[in-house]
Amino acid sequence: MAQSTLKGIPGTLRRALNGAALWSRINSPWLVHFNSGSCNGCDIEILATLAPRYDLERFGVKLQGSPRHADVLICTGPVTRLARERLLRTYEQMPVPKFVIAVGSCSITGGAFHGCYNIVGDIGDVIPVDVYVPGCPPRPEAIIDGVVQLLTKLRGAAAAKTPAANASPGGAS
Amino acid sequence: MSAEADFLRIQESVGPWVSGSRIAENRLDIDTTAERLLPAVTAFNKLSWGYLSAITGLDSGIAAPSDGHIEVLYHFCKGPSVATFRVKVPRGDPSVPSIGGPVPSAVLFERELAETMGVRVAGLPDGKRQFLSDDWPENVYPLRKDFTLESAAPTQEDAPAVGSGEAPGTFIIPIGPQHPALKEPGHFELTVDGENVTHASIRLGYVHRGIEKAAEDRLWVHNIYLMERICGICSHIHATAYVLGVESLAGVQVPPRAQAVRTIFCEMERIHSHLLWLGVAAHEAGFDTLFMYSWRDRETIMDLLEGLSGNRVNYSVNLLGGVKYDIDGKAADSVRRGLDFLERRTKNYLRIVTTDESFLRRTRGVGAITFDQASLLGTVGPTARASGVSRDLRAEAPYLAYREFPVRPVLDTRCDLEARFVVRINELFECYRLVREMLDRMPAGELAAPAPRKVPEGEVISRVEAPRGELFYYIRSSGGVKPDRVKVRTPSLCNWAAVLSVVVGHKLADVPMILVGIDPCFSCNDRSITLRRRGSARRAKGADSRRAGSADSLESWSWEDLRAYGISYYARGGT
Repeated sequence: MAQSTLKGIPGTLRRALNGAALWSRINSPWLVHFNSGSCNGCDIEILATLAPRYDLERFGVKLQGSPRHADVLICTGPVTRLARERLLRTYEQMPVPKFVIAVGSCSITGGAFHGCYNIVGDIGDVIPVDVYVPGCPPRPEAIIDGVVQLLTKLRGAAAAKTPAANASPGGAS
Repeated sequence: MSAEADFLRIQESVGPWVSGSRIAENRLDIDTTAERLLPAVTAFNKLSWGYLSAITGLDSGIAAPSDGHIEVLYHFCKGPSVATFRVKVPRGDPSVPSIGGPVPSAVLFERELAETMGVRVAGLPDGKRQFLSDDWPENVYPLRKDFTLESAAPTQEDAPAVGSGEAPGTFIIPIGPQHPALKEPGHFELTVDGENVTHASIRLGYVHRGIEKAAEDRLWVHNIYLMERICGICSHIHATAYVLGVESLAGVQVPPRAQAVRTIFCEMERIHSHLLWLGVAAHEAGFDTLFMYSWRDRETIMDLLEGLSGNRVNYSVNLLGGVKYDIDGKAADSVRRGLDFLERRTKNYLRIVTTDESFLRRTRGVGAITFDQASLLGTVGPTARASGVSRDLRAEAPYLAYREFPVRPVLDTRCDLEARFVVRINELFECYRLVREMLDRMPAGELAAPAPRKVPEGEVISRVEAPRGELFYYIRSSGGVKPDRVKVRTPSLCNWAAVLSVVVGHKLADVPMILVGIDPCFSCNDRSITLRRRGSARRAKGADSRRAGSADSLESWSWEDLRAYGISYYARGGT
């Protein structure tokens, strides 16, 4: 819930509402997935993470089709020239506060495709990233760990009573 | 008729238009010129021999600027035989005629040739740039030998043309590149009349990375790792096609046990890929229960792959000359147990997709690709086999251990989506049988033979059956430590033409199912191609202004305006 919608509401109630929003965000973050040039390896592992064996949904996580309903952008791959615009657009369509998890070696450095002519860089070159999950591709356990690290970070922010705004790029993990 | 007799017949029919031809084992090379190409291909096409599998462009490089040339290779395949038309054009002004008239499936490959190699293809229906990004500079071709990264710096202009050539009253539904129905980015535009699709086009290239160029800059052995990362789903088969080609160039004899291990991984990868597809396809139909069950069971094969290789996705099995991992008796037993479980589950899936009434309404009679369409448009793999076209390289041109363990191709003649489900599920049973037989009769011996660091000069075509169909590699060496050219043509690319023509006339709601029916793999085919592009500016405006729900002034907004509006809208907290 953005601060501005709460204008005119008394301070105590506003704090309570903000606390409720943060509580629900931590307990049920909605994910949107975007592949900006990945080989698919990370994408099938993200799907496997959501499937019954690893069951990411037990953390309240839900994969969501529209970026406009999502809290977390989970992205894979290096960024190709054509996908760059789309990655930015997907990110910009998400409501604030928003968080980014970059999955896979390519999303960290470009990986095996570093230096290819159609690659503009890694995810961090285009949008701010909160959690990096290395691996080619990372195991589902590692992806779960990435999500949990993000949630822990948010929980820490909640405990410190600071507004859970976007963390600095290239933060944890 | 033997391959030799076939080749003689081809030589006879194209005789008047060729300047020379050579027959080697399973290869026929026909030299011709740009002027004579079209009549030669037309005469060849009358024989109804095989299908166009790929078009390769070769750049002679800048060593000899005065007489440099670009060679264009048209590969037609039938079973194990490949007939190649070779045309040399001057580097200064390379131009060939389009063969899209006699061979409709050529258009895709010609677009790729024009964009990456800079060969002008006269008569190509839409001459616009297709798969490189919109800010790619003019007259810069990434696969030319003198290409430098600096020359491809983005140009400033390029908001693509807005809404040109649309008939008034048509309504275009954009799908993708970020869309819940697509696990990978691709962009489709469907023109609809009410609920019915009247035209479909596609823009790929979102995952184009430039791997063919990158391969020229890496050592022979480094490229195994790169090829494995063309696609995360069929990683092993890419590496296998590559090493098979390089080994044949280098004259390396791979020990029988290594061949069997490679083949077992090929089949296990097919099992994981088909189960993955079953889940995704069920998800598109709204049948999430089946999605979750098939993905749960798929973990069994993932565990087995991890047990054998240490990795769940990129197994990294291949070496030049052999494999890294052995399969011992204990590992074989765990594989057998896993396959027993999967076989029981697969029987259940076959029963569900052929009897579940609500599911059948989404598949039976939907998205039919007729036998003629499938053969004419060059479809491959399970998509072709579900239309009764028997194209399976494991049976037609056995490689690796498939020579000792023959494959029975699974065919279906019903042509619709249900047939594509049934074919893939029945192929799973064939995979289980093959893996078991290979485990029971594993040849003894070494796991790898030594391979040279430099590969002798020459060219080779390596074709294997990936989970999605025929995978085609053309590899050329100039005798050095790096390849001179690696051309990859992936199966998904061959299937787009058929699926886009089939979508027309269907209800919009059936489109995701039909698209997913060919098991499209964007990361595979985007390594180098696309079909048709329409302006993203118009699309953005159309879609977002409708979503914003305001009718009047929004129509004239630019994409930039809209984006700024969207950002400020959410920054204000949605007011």
